[in-house]
Amino acid sequence: MTSNSSSKKQAQDPPESSEPTLKSLRTKMTKSDEKKKLKDIEISVPLVYGNIAFWLGKKASEYQSHKWAVYVRGATNEDISVVIKKVVFQLHSSFNNPTRVIEEPPFEVSESGWGEFEIAITLHFHSDVCDKPLSLYHHLKLYPEDESGPLTMKKPVVVEHYDEIVFPDPSESFLARVQNHPALTFPRLPSGYNLPAPMQVDDNGKKKRGDTKDHSLGQWFTSFSEADELLQLAAARQQVQAHIAKLRRQISLLEGQNQTIKTGSDP
Amino acid sequence: MGGTDAKDILGLPKTPLSLTQEKKSRPQKESHRKPDGISREVYALTGGVAPLMPSIDVTHLKRRPPPDEKVAWQWLPVKSSARNDDLQLYHWVRVVNDVPPSADYSFAKYNKSVDVLKYTDDEYENHLTDPVWTKEETDQLFELCERFDLRFTVIADRFPLSRTVEELKDRYYSVTRALLRATAQSPSELANHPLMKEPYDMTRDRERKRALSMVLSQSRHQEKKDAEILAEAKRITEMRLAARRAAEPDVPANENIGSVSPSSNSQLPATAVAPSTLTMADYTSTLASLRMLHVYLRTYGLEQMVQAASSAVGLRTIKRVEQTLQDLGVNLKPKVPTKTVCDEHLELRKEILTLLNLQKQYKESEGSSHREGTYAAMPDTPKDRVFASEPFSFGGERPIKKEQKRKGPGRQSDTPSPAHKRPRKMKASDL
Repeated sequence: MTSNSSSKKQAQDPPESSEPTLKSLRTKMTKSDEKKKLKDIEISVPLVYGNIAFWLGKKASEYQSHKWAVYVRGATNEDISVVIKKVVFQLHSSFNNPTRVIEEPPFEVSESGWGEFEIAITLHFHSDVCDKPLSLYHHLKLYPEDESGPLTMKKPVVVEHYDEIVFPDPSESFLARVQNHPALTFPRLPSGYNLPAPMQVDDNGKKKRGDTKDHSLGQWFTSFSEADELLQLAAARQQVQAHIAKLRRQISLLEGQNQTIKTGSDP
Repeated sequence: MGGTDAKDILGLPKTPLSLTQEKKSRPQKESHRKPDGISREVYALTGGVAPLMPSIDVTHLKRRPPPDEKVAWQWLPVKSSARNDDLQLYHWVRVVNDVPPSADYSFAKYNKSVDVLKYTDDEYENHLTDPVWTKEETDQLFELCERFDLRFTVIADRFPLSRTVEELKDRYYSVTRALLRATAQSPSELANHPLMKEPYDMTRDRERKRALSMVLSQSRHQEKKDAEILAEAKRITEMRLAARRAAEPDVPANENIGSVSPSSNSQLPATAVAPSTLTMADYTSTLASLRMLHVYLRTYGLEQMVQAASSAVGLRTIKRVEQTLQDLGVNLKPKVPTKTVCDEHLELRKEILTLLNLQKQYKESEGSSHREGTYAAMPDTPKDRVFASEPFSFGGERPIKKEQKRKGPGRQSDTPSPAHKRPRKMKASDL
């Protein structure tokens, strides 16, 4: 069942028996239109995932030297549960219940241990978003880069990575549900494209707040800004373009010279 | 023992000690008999000592016939089963113990011939008539087939009326098939006949020959292009397979990819246009396969696009692109991969590729102009590390990790003098 057909179901509600034929008819008729409409629309969810690890210092034992937390959060600390249904953290097999399923934000696992290992983080999305889960991999870091420095209980080791989930062809229902949500970047819709009004959300009072703006570890979060990188890239591109232009001039100069040499004998 | 020869040559006196030593060692050596089977000189090559592990059994080295056999060579008449006339030929025969060999002439077994079917006039009337072929022609064809063992190129040459090889083949095989079908006792014995299992198809044969001649006449340039396109197609199909396996089954496939096939080689102009169309196809196909995933990480998407960009170039060029990126102070993998950042990063990579191509082009045209005896305008930057020593001032962000040693902040010149060139991993001559 494609996301397209699910949105059509909501809009038109065809009878069960003729559903396949209607669906195929509809896809034939409106496929090109739909394709045109949704072609360049993508929804992206900026994420940060990583771990924070505190050395336990005096209370550290051989097998429990650090207390760490691995997590996935929105890059701007907004609530990503609008898109993500649950997150499965696959820890090292030496842990009790190494498969930790977190179904509510904040999507994190806190543990204590001594070893660094790779954690597989699988994001499962709501059914109208995507059927397939997406996997990330994070290497748990407990010890600081500078190996020779003393371990301190005060400052934790923080490793965070920025990435974005891209949904290249979001369904209409998904688009409708998440329009204006701060956790994701909503695309600019082509003019004249109207989304149905978002359906009623759950009672806000009952739901726990899913954003991580007031998270206990919030002070250690890294703030990722694209400005620096963009600046770097723009400057680099300028330089490269300048060199290209120069080389092009030189090449045409050379070719001009070669031409005159070749035709030098002509009167 | 070589020492004495050397001394002889040099004219040095031999010491009395060594002389007595030689006298002692010589009688010892001569008591070694050289083994049979190898000549003395060869044996001496190994240092006059038998090898520790005999690699070949010495008795195998020169096989002499056992002494009880008497071997002679005689000029005898030869009988060949391949001949059916009375011609008597003679040749030398190895006769052992006065018994001449009785076997057939050793090459008679190669006298094979094709079983060309013969038909009667009745059979022709009943089964084998054809609008295009007369009976005389068919008879002639069959006679030629028998004479020339189904070598159709020769037959076509000899055929009185001009017909193509394919037409002759077609007629011969269809006649034979019809005959087989008509005269077969039971269908089972027919089923195994190769002609029944794989009938001759004239159009297919023509196509096959045309394709072969196209492949044969390809220039090396086209061959390389073909290989590239095939590798591309393979990569695309693999990506699509992976994406399709992950995606739902009824998603429509992207038509862009289907058009890139080896047989369209003749349509692609053999100019610089072709590589760029290839890369565009890469990008569109990568985008298509990403779309089919329905969800992916932007870093993954960027990786795929970078791979697509570098699929048409060699490893060395890829390394140079990465080196240039480092020199420019750009992270090889963006730290904050937003959409804009990734797009910019990709564009930068493409531009660097263009730059490297231009550099190569420039070098080539410079090289040719040098050959012509002119002095080309000297560039004022070192060719391989374009951004090697240029200080760049933007934002002040500098990459922290650096393997190269940077000069002090005082250096502002564009052209580093050769003495100060820092060790480069690759030289200009590497191109």
